[in-house]
Amino acid sequence: MAGSEPVSFMQQMVSLEYKLRASPVAVDFARRLCAGTITGHACPECGLVYTPPSGFCSICVVPTNTREHEVEIADRGTVTAFTIVNPIQYRGQKEREVYAVASILLDGASGTIGQQRLGDVDLDRVRMGMRVEAVWLPEEKRKDSAAMGAGLASAIHHWRPVDEPDTPLEEFAEHII
Amino acid sequence: MAGAVPTYKLEFPYKRSLGPIVGAFLTGLRDRQVLGIRSAAGRVLVPPLEFDPETGEENLEWTRVGEAGVVRGFSWVEEPLPKHPLDRPFAWVLVQLDGADTNLVHVLDADSRAAVEIGMRVRIRWASETRGHMSDIACFEPEAG
Ligand SMILES: [Zn+2]
Repeated sequence: MAGSEPVSFMQQMVSLEYKLRASPVAVDFARRLCAGTITGHACPECGLVYTPPSGFCSICVVPTNTREHEVEIADRGTVTAFTIVNPIQYRGQKEREVYAVASILLDGASGTIGQQRLGDVDLDRVRMGMRVEAVWLPEEKRKDSAAMGAGLASAIHHWRPVDEPDTPLEEFAEHII
Repeated sequence: MAGAVPTYKLEFPYKRSLGPIVGAFLTGLRDRQVLGIRSAAGRVLVPPLEFDPETGEENLEWTRVGEAGVVRGFSWVEEPLPKHPLDRPFAWVLVQLDGADTNLVHVLDADSRAAVEIGMRVRIRWASETRGHMSDIACFEPEAG
């Protein structure tokens, strides 16, 4: 970029590359997810069900990393909170259209999963208490992510409304952040 | 647990406003000249500072220094990391350019650790294309002869 104008700015790419080895618990979760099942871990002391599981209960400080703690979680739940995102077209942005993400309290889980993409719904119909179910990616598209311990989005494309009555606020009020 | 360890990348493009002193220095590099400033005491500072370090005075006089100089200190890197400027073993060097009283940190492309010593003469190897960036000096190399 030779020129005759004085140089007044300097461009620099600040970047960090790192490797992250998934924990055995995360790999196990991803394998089951890949096969079409969402799993969680139930704490043997307080009974809370964590999904995705971390392998321990952070309240009771006990491990939950064996098969006996594993429970299956429904791929269906309640929207407890949501955001309508108008994607700003900054460098690297992949989204072009307005969309919604939600926190979802899955049936059988004690806590919400965050940042879940909603689809097949008019954005002005999205609401707290709305019942949704997973729209899974075709199986061949899920395969590579298991060993990475990838999260829900590696197997679930989005969540869509189901024809069920809304969950009353009292039933999920403690999960609204 | 077998399986590849995935690599992740975080990055953000950063644009820095340079101001009159660093801007002029990098403009000089783009034009393949190394510029310094002369302090009140007559010392030539390369790279330049925005203030005289002794008196705090501004608006110091610009002066051009040489493209070659003397190694005043170094640190040998046997195993370069991906982000280092050279992909083979090299030395970080403090170079006092001819006409300067201070040292510039840069890279020396030398064949081996044994080829580097304090007091050796080195010369700038310019980047094939200059753009107003510190990397316009691709590196230093031992002065021939
Ligand atoms: Zn517990």
